[in-house]
Amino acid sequence: MVVVTGREPDSRRPAGAMSSSDAEDDFLEPATPTATQAGHALPLVPQERCAELPALGGPAAPGACAGRVQGGPVLRHRSPAGAAGEHAAAEGGEGAPGVSGAHALLQRPPGADCGDCPAACSAAEGPLRQAQVVNREKMSLKSERRGIHVDQSELLCKKGCGYYGNSAWQGFCSKCWREEYHKARQKQIQEDWELAERLQREEEEAFASSQSSQGAQSLTFSKFEEKKTNEKTRKVTTVKKFFSASSRVGSKKEIQEAKAPSPSINRQTSIETDRVSKEFIEFLKTYHKIGQEIYKQTKMFLEAMHYKRELSIEEQSEFTQDFYQNVAERTQTRGKVPPERVEKIMDQIEKYIMTRLYKHVFCPETTDDEKKDLAIQKRIRALHWVTPQMLCVPVNEEIPEVSDMVVKAITDIIEMDSKRVPRDKLACITKCSKHIFNAIKITKNEPASADDFLPTLIYIVLKGNPPRLQSNIQYITRFCNPSRLMTGEDGYYFTNLCCAVAFIEKLDAQSLNLSQEDFDRYMSGQTSPRKQEPEAWAPDACLGVKQMYKNLDLLSQLNERQERIMSEAKKLEKDLIDWTDGVTREVQDIVERYPLEIPPPDQPFAAIDSENVENDKLPPPLQPQVYAG
Amino acid sequence: MAQVDRALRHGAAPDPPCVFKLVLLGSDSVGKSSLALRYVKDDFRSMLPTVGCAFFTKMVHVGGASLKFEIWDMAGQKYHSVCRLYFRGASSVLLVYDITSKGSFLRAQQWLRDLEAEFLPGEVVVMLIGNKTDLDKERQVTFEEGKEFAESRRLLFAEASAKLNHQVTEAFTAEARELLQREEERVDQTQRGTPRVTLNEGPPRQAKCCAR
Repeated sequence: MVVVTGREPDSRRPAGAMSSSDAEDDFLEPATPTATQAGHALPLVPQERCAELPALGGPAAPGACAGRVQGGPVLRHRSPAGAAGEHAAAEGGEGAPGVSGAHALLQRPPGADCGDCPAACSAAEGPLRQAQVVNREKMSLKSERRGIHVDQSELLCKKGCGYYGNSAWQGFCSKCWREEYHKARQKQIQEDWELAERLQREEEEAFASSQSSQGAQSLTFSKFEEKKTNEKTRKVTTVKKFFSASSRVGSKKEIQEAKAPSPSINRQTSIETDRVSKEFIEFLKTYHKIGQEIYKQTKMFLEAMHYKRELSIEEQSEFTQDFYQNVAERTQTRGKVPPERVEKIMDQIEKYIMTRLYKHVFCPETTDDEKKDLAIQKRIRALHWVTPQMLCVPVNEEIPEVSDMVVKAITDIIEMDSKRVPRDKLACITKCSKHIFNAIKITKNEPASADDFLPTLIYIVLKGNPPRLQSNIQYITRFCNPSRLMTGEDGYYFTNLCCAVAFIEKLDAQSLNLSQEDFDRYMSGQTSPRKQEPEAWAPDACLGVKQMYKNLDLLSQLNERQERIMSEAKKLEKDLIDWTDGVTREVQDIVERYPLEIPPPDQPFAAIDSENVENDKLPPPLQPQVYAG
Repeated sequence: MAQVDRALRHGAAPDPPCVFKLVLLGSDSVGKSSLALRYVKDDFRSMLPTVGCAFFTKMVHVGGASLKFEIWDMAGQKYHSVCRLYFRGASSVLLVYDITSKGSFLRAQQWLRDLEAEFLPGEVVVMLIGNKTDLDKERQVTFEEGKEFAESRRLLFAEASAKLNHQVTEAFTAEARELLQREEERVDQTQRGTPRVTLNEGPPRQAKCCAR
């Protein structure tokens, strides 16, 4: 019997804790080497020797102790002792050439005696030391039992290779574990690939069907809803599990599995998050003490936000706004920071927290933001026929410079969706607005007023149909520093964008100076204002569209010709049939008119011979004669 | 709205000038943009500003104090239905009409009704401006009419000409003076109401303790 006591690795954080521990470490610059560093130090233990140990068997070889002596000081670096097992596991799992000290000790057969070198053993710390102590106790006080009692067979490698297994390696020895792990990993990778491929295929199909017909759109929409509810239920179950202590580890694994299908996206975001964290820390370092305090507050806020994830988005928004305000006030009053710099700090804080929260608070499942997105997108698509003239847009796209500006403005407004921080999104809107102003200025040759600007912005939105427009607006409204939205240039342009969207939603015949009938006809797609006046619209179209229209013209001409050919061919066919009929008829007529009459023979044929009476008077036919010669 | 106020307040701390958002309201072609342009650049469309003239900032010095105007030009009545958004966080409004157009004056009254629905009384400083005094011959709205209406609704009133630069700066300065005065009153009020502020700050701190 072997008695094993073990300590739960205390370095493990509670499940679901903030993933920002790395950042904190960076900031505080721990004096002791981090756990990973210590883990890397482990292989310093002479590995071959350790690995040999089980084979040696019997009485302890001096080498075993020497190994431990060397292992000891290395391990002492590490402050959280519990990490040993984990790192050993990590080493083994990643295919490190040797086995770590801790594992080697566990693999040592029970016969090896540690009592010979108590000093060396006491030098080791953590689970290592415990394992040794246990071993020693087992040797000296065989009857004493402590901790969990496990049968020796259970300690052996599950594969039955004779070596001892380790719970960290799911009961395998290091070698077998490595093999198993590799196999599992290969399989996992394979599955991930398949899943990714399947997802992509599904997406493509959905895209194709949504493109193909209007009817299909509702189908994809219902699918999306289904997906949404699915996601919700999944979330609920995980949360439940999260709270039931028994399946804690399991739920954690499940979360990781749930994340697995999109590893690349996760990695990308985490890279960006890390980068932003680092920048934020660097920035705060310039503020010394107040910077540290801000950091602490921000951390606390993020943690609190984590627990508020289940609340409505409005509450989260409120909480964030309160946070902005508190920090700003504190920084100003306590830190005695001048207001301009407070602004700067606030921007950085916003950038930091929103990069982290983006995933959870942008277009959250609990709201109907996504539905609104789809609605506005559909609406804009339905309004594709609106011309600049109808909106009174003072932009002449015939001028190449202007059309260039328009394209840039559209690019900017579309780019907004790709940003994560509300302020960056605002910056995109501002950039777009500047391009619009330039376009108007070039066209009109005088500064643009709001009366010119808003219609043009509406036109740009209609032309660009920016993705997730409503979600973006909601997100900015909820999580941007409020002072930015209600005042300042960015705020002005953002307000204009909101107006533009509201206008598009409410747009009717009157606002375009059209009659209701025309408007209805355009909306239903029966006719397009452009069809009626092809010359008038041609100049503002791009080359491709022009070409397309030219081709359409050609096609219709061809069509006409073909129809003509068809009708003529039919005529020809008919003519041909008529002609043959005519000929037949004529022939018949003639035949009828002139029936074939064969006059009966005047004399019988026998008389012919009798008529040739003179035959008898003819000389006899020449006979061949033979001449001898 | 309270949030707006707080937000503005911290941006408008002791040393730097307070920032006031001023919205220009009025029908099409009453000269909103021209007024703003004249005031900010002292220019009547002879020199082009860098980019557009829909958003301006301008420092104003009134007596010893100074403040910063943020002027938001608003699109005309065509977009009337969606323009409420512009009012968020505004502290003053310039309601512009054209003295040569009765219609624009009536529209201004309509705008005012919208404003009253949006804000509490006294929350914003509204000034009525009759523009285009240079076209006095074609006048359709008399000075008395305008003034009477303004007084009945407790608005500031002025007639100006953006073209001749007549009374433009004066109008804006009057607005600024009024704003500063109200601001002082408000500061007095908040100082009297100190305990309330502390109460407001309570909950977030508590929350932090719990989180710890």
